[in-house]
Amino acid sequence: MKTIVGLACMILSVFLFVVVIQSCASRKAEAIKGKQFVPANARVANGERMYMMHCDKCHPGGEAGLGPAINSNPAPQFIKRFQMRHGLGVMPAFKKNEISKKDLRDISKFLRAWKHY
Amino acid sequence: MRKYCIFLLVVAILISLPGCYRLRSSKGGGEISTVNQRTLNASDVALPPGYKIELVASGFTFPSAVAFDAQGQLHVIETGYSYGEVWGEPKLIRIDAQGKQTVVAKGARNGPWTGITFHNGSFYVAEGGQAEGGKILRISTTGEIKSIIDNLPSVGDHHTNGPVIRDGYVYFGQGTATNSAVVGGDNAQFGWLLRKPDFHDIPCADITLTGQNYESENVLTPDANDKATTGAYSAFGKSTTAGEVIKGALPCTGAVMRVPLEGGKPELVAWGFRNPFGLAFSADGKLYVTENGYDDRGSRPVWGTGDVLWEVRQGMWYGWPDFSAGKPIRSDEEFKVPSRSPVKPVLQNYPNTPPAPVAIFGVHSSSNGLDFSTNNSFGYQGQAFVAQFGDMSPGVGKVLRPVGFKIVRVDVSNGVIRDFAVNRGKRNGPASWLGHGGLERPVSVKFDPSGQVLYVVDFGIMKMTDKGPQPQTGTGVIWKITREGI
Repeated sequence: MKTIVGLACMILSVFLFVVVIQSCASRKAEAIKGKQFVPANARVANGERMYMMHCDKCHPGGEAGLGPAINSNPAPQFIKRFQMRHGLGVMPAFKKNEISKKDLRDISKFLRAWKHY
Repeated sequence: MRKYCIFLLVVAILISLPGCYRLRSSKGGGEISTVNQRTLNASDVALPPGYKIELVASGFTFPSAVAFDAQGQLHVIETGYSYGEVWGEPKLIRIDAQGKQTVVAKGARNGPWTGITFHNGSFYVAEGGQAEGGKILRISTTGEIKSIIDNLPSVGDHHTNGPVIRDGYVYFGQGTATNSAVVGGDNAQFGWLLRKPDFHDIPCADITLTGQNYESENVLTPDANDKATTGAYSAFGKSTTAGEVIKGALPCTGAVMRVPLEGGKPELVAWGFRNPFGLAFSADGKLYVTENGYDDRGSRPVWGTGDVLWEVRQGMWYGWPDFSAGKPIRSDEEFKVPSRSPVKPVLQNYPNTPPAPVAIFGVHSSSNGLDFSTNNSFGYQGQAFVAQFGDMSPGVGKVLRPVGFKIVRVDVSNGVIRDFAVNRGKRNGPASWLGHGGLERPVSVKFDPSGQVLYVVDFGIMKMTDKGPQPQTGTGVIWKITREGI
């Protein structure tokens, strides 16, 4: 019984944590941050181009739009890559003929850089 | 084992939270309570370091574009019509250096006036033509109006747009009659189907249909149980058959066309656009156009399609009504409305494979007027600046947060889009949604003749309700953005 209560509390805590994180400001626009984003290397630059081609329309600038915000989503990058490849809910899956494995990893590199610039 | 289970649970929660799409209500930027008066505060707008924004003039009713005469004087057009079936008088208004406004010309009840340019001593205006068809007007600086082309197929959802001038021709956009080629109940909500029940889309060249037909309530009869079956490129209630050929004609819908400056017959430049709204030539002479993507509405709704920036190539077909941003929408989960069947094609074959887009904007962002930076003292030389009117949800489909309501810049060499002028706040949205005095609905942008000042035309407040848009008169604003220290 004690274990079940503990587990329930943990789930609730995680749930609340995620809700709080997701409700935090997700804005990363240059105008808001007051500085320009410059891709650190070619992989990040390619990731940004791929993001623009496949992801930005639903998550403009990583913010919520048609889809939820990515900037404030705390899921690790491998989870996000899994979701991009296999889809979830209304989010479509992007197969290898649409986004190659390398491009998928570059999108992760861009998202990480964009989140922390 | 227990730690492993907890980890999996956490992961499942993390990835499933954004997945509860169907349970979430729409939160578009127009889904606001009534705002009685617009407040204006330039400091509520954020810009990259080194830029500043100022208010130029306010109190306009549905302004859509600006142009400069030979003396560099600022001129604004008011549309005279807005979605929501609000009719008024289109106007060309001069604003002098002291901010005094003088009406130069008034148009007929055939708005919306959607765009303006100045060339060789005259203004050229795209008259949207919601009542009697689209026109391109030449207006002298003293206010005489002459039509150089009329009867454009513009009485539907989308209008005659542009114009821009190059090599003795006026280039203009002509939007489609419908969302995705099938006339339906959504067009009655727009208002035009009840006025023009025979109107429908017109292809620019012969097309062969798949014979897909769509059943809807017959909105032209009072019987709520009466049904109508409608095919693509056909009047409401007219079905089509597989292999049926629809003859192409000019002028057509969903196209960029051109007409000689002195007037004459329209010539096709490119087609297969849904609503080609903003047109601009880059410094290297390439023509670019913004296209408003499909909506989740009507008999053939399409989901998740972004607005697009295209480079226009002569004679090319760009994909409407079976492609979005170069991708086929048929049987693709990316474009299927949640909980509905995949979208089926209406065309049996295609004139060409649509090209790749220059850039893809946010779904429902309503990316409209654009202009190119040509002066390095302003910065971002060669990049396109695009005004995003913002979503009209829930009428166009659901969004989780406001989309658009800002100015973005596009590096046309790689398709990367960055926000340029946005409202401050924890979230993006129009000023009325955020409760401050920043941008409302930017509809176009234009650099002054020096290329050092970017003018922003802000349409004003438009509330979205279940019954459609409720635009608010007298809330339009002109802003200007400059780089400090030049």
